[in-house]
Amino acid sequence: MAVGWLSRLAMRGPATVFPALGMHGEEAVYRLAQAPGITLVDTPRHATILLVAGGVPPHFHDSLRRVHDQLPAPFATLWYQSEPLLELQQPGIGKMDDLEALPGAVMDTWRRVIAGEQGTASRLLPDTPPNPWQGLGDDGRGGEGMMGGVPYGRPMAMPPAPDLRDGLALDILTVRLGPFFPLWPAGLEAEVTLQGDIVQQFSVLSAPYPRAVPSVFLEAQSRPVAIARLERKRMQYHLRALFHALRLAHLPDLAWRALGLAEECDSRPVEKLGKAFKAFARALARRGFFALYLPKGGTLDSEHARTLAGFAARAAGVEDDARQADEGYRRLGFSVITQQAGDVPARWRQRLAEVEQSLALIARAQQSDAVTASTEAIELPRGAGNADNLLENLLPGLEWSEALATLASLDVAEVSPWPHP
Amino acid sequence: MAASVMLEQLVWPLAMVFAALGGGVYLWAVLDGLAARSFGLPRAQSVWQRPLSRGAWLLIQQSNNTEAPDRWGWRLAPALYLALAAVGLALVPWSRDWVATDLATSLVLWGSVEALATVVIFLQGWSANSHFALMGAYRYVALGLSYILISMFVLIGVALPAESLAITRIVASQQDVWNVVRQPLGLPLFLLVGLALTFRGPFNLADSQDLAGGTSVEVSGPPRLVWELARSAMLVAFSGIAATVFLGGWLGPWLPGPLWVMLKMLAILAVQAWLGRWFAVITPSRCLSLMWLILLPLAFIDLIWAGVVALL
Repeated sequence: MAVGWLSRLAMRGPATVFPALGMHGEEAVYRLAQAPGITLVDTPRHATILLVAGGVPPHFHDSLRRVHDQLPAPFATLWYQSEPLLELQQPGIGKMDDLEALPGAVMDTWRRVIAGEQGTASRLLPDTPPNPWQGLGDDGRGGEGMMGGVPYGRPMAMPPAPDLRDGLALDILTVRLGPFFPLWPAGLEAEVTLQGDIVQQFSVLSAPYPRAVPSVFLEAQSRPVAIARLERKRMQYHLRALFHALRLAHLPDLAWRALGLAEECDSRPVEKLGKAFKAFARALARRGFFALYLPKGGTLDSEHARTLAGFAARAAGVEDDARQADEGYRRLGFSVITQQAGDVPARWRQRLAEVEQSLALIARAQQSDAVTASTEAIELPRGAGNADNLLENLLPGLEWSEALATLASLDVAEVSPWPHP
Repeated sequence: MAASVMLEQLVWPLAMVFAALGGGVYLWAVLDGLAARSFGLPRAQSVWQRPLSRGAWLLIQQSNNTEAPDRWGWRLAPALYLALAAVGLALVPWSRDWVATDLATSLVLWGSVEALATVVIFLQGWSANSHFALMGAYRYVALGLSYILISMFVLIGVALPAESLAITRIVASQQDVWNVVRQPLGLPLFLLVGLALTFRGPFNLADSQDLAGGTSVEVSGPPRLVWELARSAMLVAFSGIAATVFLGGWLGPWLPGPLWVMLKMLAILAVQAWLGRWFAVITPSRCLSLMWLILLPLAFIDLIWAGVVALL
């Protein structure tokens, strides 16, 4: 009786969802983040629903099993545009492909799990230490020599190493994160060596999944398209990126507003969009996004900036923008905007300035039905390049929060050859 | 006669402490929900029902485990934190007579609550045997000393005009002028320190988003509920101390003393809820600079100001 009463009360609350993103699964996150009765959480321990969104490559199936087994009972798994793991394929499994129906399916699953109508998914892995160690190896700690093995699930403490900033010798901690870590790009798996809060070493084990750009940018490579359409999608891209940074900055209401603006980019009249964006940009400054949260670090050197191209290069003072070579853009009075510092705040200032520039271009392009004149070089919203060893060079020496803010300010995934639907 | 004294000096004060622990925590959750709504966040559920639903959800959720945690420490830390909040609330005088713990050194006891909270928060993060939880714990330990120092300087400032470390005497010393007027830097500093001590809003570095929940990243079910209750209870206790030492505690016209204390506590909690949602989270290095280079010197100035005013 008591449990029934508690369950009824609990199911009125928001559904807690941990998103495990596969390839092209981001749309699901954006959709659920805007649904009022759903809360996205950053650890499987705080979730009741595991949402696997997008295709998960086979070599990440074991990682997915580990994430799955961390959810506390009762819980259920939903598969959005994703193929369920073999051991979970059974009749009635929550598998769906319709984005619009996703929030409803999440809420329905939530209610049924809390009510006890949907059985808790079984555990997929044995409840044993992932790295057996007791009684093994030279000293019974599972490894060779005195420092081998992973007793109690942790590598043996390594000899203190000098801190990168002040030389103070401290113990180091090496952890492996990803590919489902929700606070950085989906698919990125890395081994991070930390000393306190400072990243000592960052080794990428698996690059992020390639990210699709909106299909209109690929369309523009084969025929002239309306500049207003292109710029609306550019705005949307930057605003969606801002959503992730604002969540990290503990500004959930502004993150929600950024997504709301992004969703309105396709259809809202440009004057209203401009007004809403200006108010939004003022709120960003007033609420300490730049002054309190963004670190003055993560600075790209000119070589990395040029390789990455796009807004990241322009934020570092590189006047490189394919739009300036396009006659259609030139007729609208386009000129390249740049920043000089090349650090995290500069990149966000650049992106915000480019959103504002897009708004002005949309307004002018709509008056003359302007279209692109060139199909050879199209400026993508994110820059088409990828720098080798970028993160390995950029992140060491930063505090953990600064490292994540730096990652959020960059597009480190490759551009997918396939368009965004 | 003895029954009446017992009622006045034991039963009612203790009842108020437990009411503040339960009702105060619930009202804080409601105020935080109202603040979220005022910032435009959509809420599918009424702010009055949401805390109850969340509590019910955590109660039916499994309390999970990690590989080789310090089980005793992990289970005890939330309870100890809640106990510390209860000790803090026991120091709040609800009226001239309703004081659960009326010590000559009650301000010192509050200081020890703040210091011991550091130990308990570290225990919560360390016991999980998980890297993000440990990082959250270390962050709090690294910053906690600066919070406590600022708090103590500000509180010594309010003890000066009362010439006493007893909170009841500090309330009595505000009969003519509240300390919020007499020492204008004190309350703003104490409010910021309160957010930091309970790691909320811009100072939520121990349980922050970049650590996916920090000290509570691995916690689920009832232990998480107790931890959240304890964090909120500590903020309620903090608001009780702030209302008492800066806003005149039970002093006020027309209404009974306990009601005044409760109204003042709610006002402080409302300000904390708004402040907590207004500002972006600060980076740990900036937080360290802010505390040691700006707020601590301001706390010195507040103390000197309080001393000069007391001498005049």
